[in-house]
Amino acid sequence: MTDYIIESQGLTKCFGTKTALFDFNLAIPRGGIHAFIGANGAGKSTFFRLLLGLESPTQGSCSVLGINSQELSPEHRGKIGYVNEEHTLPSWMTVDAVIEMQRSLYPKWQQDTFDKVIANFDVGLKQNVGQLSRGERAGLNLSMALAQSPEVLILDEPTLGLDVVAKQAFLTALMHTEMDANCTIIYCSHQMEEVERVADNLIIVEAGEVKYMAAPDDFCQRVNYWICDFETKPDKVKNLQCVLSLKNIEGQIHIVTIDQPAEHFEAYLLANGAASVVAVPVSLDKAIGAVLAQNHRGHELSA
Amino acid sequence: MAKTSAIAIQIATGDARPIFRQIVDGIRKEIATGNLQSGAKLPSVRALALQLMINANTVAKAYGELTAQGLLESRKGLGIFVAEPKQMLSEEEQQLRLQEASERFVNDVMYLDFSPEHMTQYLLKQLLQLQQKDENKS
Repeated sequence: MTDYIIESQGLTKCFGTKTALFDFNLAIPRGGIHAFIGANGAGKSTFFRLLLGLESPTQGSCSVLGINSQELSPEHRGKIGYVNEEHTLPSWMTVDAVIEMQRSLYPKWQQDTFDKVIANFDVGLKQNVGQLSRGERAGLNLSMALAQSPEVLILDEPTLGLDVVAKQAFLTALMHTEMDANCTIIYCSHQMEEVERVADNLIIVEAGEVKYMAAPDDFCQRVNYWICDFETKPDKVKNLQCVLSLKNIEGQIHIVTIDQPAEHFEAYLLANGAASVVAVPVSLDKAIGAVLAQNHRGHELSA
Repeated sequence: MAKTSAIAIQIATGDARPIFRQIVDGIRKEIATGNLQSGAKLPSVRALALQLMINANTVAKAYGELTAQGLLESRKGLGIFVAEPKQMLSEEEQQLRLQEASERFVNDVMYLDFSPEHMTQYLLKQLLQLQQKDENKS
């Protein structure tokens, strides 16, 4: 049996008439950093809440560490770290008191891990939590999540709104965790620069479904960018399934394709009205952007 | 214990070249220009990952490729080192690389006002200097 740390089968979640997730199937192997990418409202946070057992599925099921999310015991929960963008903490408590509270909740608390991670952030222990900046709260939350030595760490847009220093401290702490701890990291972010730096694996989610799952370099190679001159209108090309986008920029046609062998497509373009074709290399952020934008367009058409 | 050499490379995100490829190219260049000489000890995977703020697996993959190309060698328990130069490429592959490199060079210099003689002289001087550096070392 392959060791999947997170799995879901046919997972569906409806809120009233709104479907947040539909037939969501995913299997994430143990180890590494997995980046969750998708537009706002794509269903990422709903998926995390279902995983943690904070919501119950309408249909299907999901599991963490091989345990059904609906049956997680406190002991299992201790192995799952979760940091979300809000960085919510009781504002009236001192930092000291919050740490003490967490320590008492988690039997596997590692004080040296906590000390090492928090050292990246300038957090005074006697301060009230309410006085901390967003970056300091993020640091405190991450340090506490890592100190419970989780087997899986879920980070839901952890660096949103952080300044450069806090962001770099956060990433550095994350790098250490990946290298030192036996921890699988699920990293959800809109910051393509961070994703490119840290991700071993991309999971692209759109409209409540997993669209692509691939290593970043492999994913990049599946996307091609073409600049062509057309003598006729490129209508036939526009409707091909592999075409993510087709734009006219000052008379030249710019086309982005996915999963279409380059040599085939070049020949196809030349046979279908293109006078000249140039292939341009694609960066990861462009490739991801093209995929997400196409799905946006798909919504408009079906709406 | 050998002292670790600093690696003066930068990586850029949003580039069409994957980060892994940028590291491979960067280290190749450092070796080619003599900034990293054979026998030099490279930072550990972990140290370079922290320096560049990237995933350690990416650094490991780049070191792996450079090792497969014969530019680096891993010494058990000691670390990763720049290998003694030995040719890993076939005659054909070398010819192809020479052709590509000279096309790039010609492309870069074709709009300059120098004569072909001047430019070849200059190129020759640089190549001889590199050779000299290598000989001094051994």
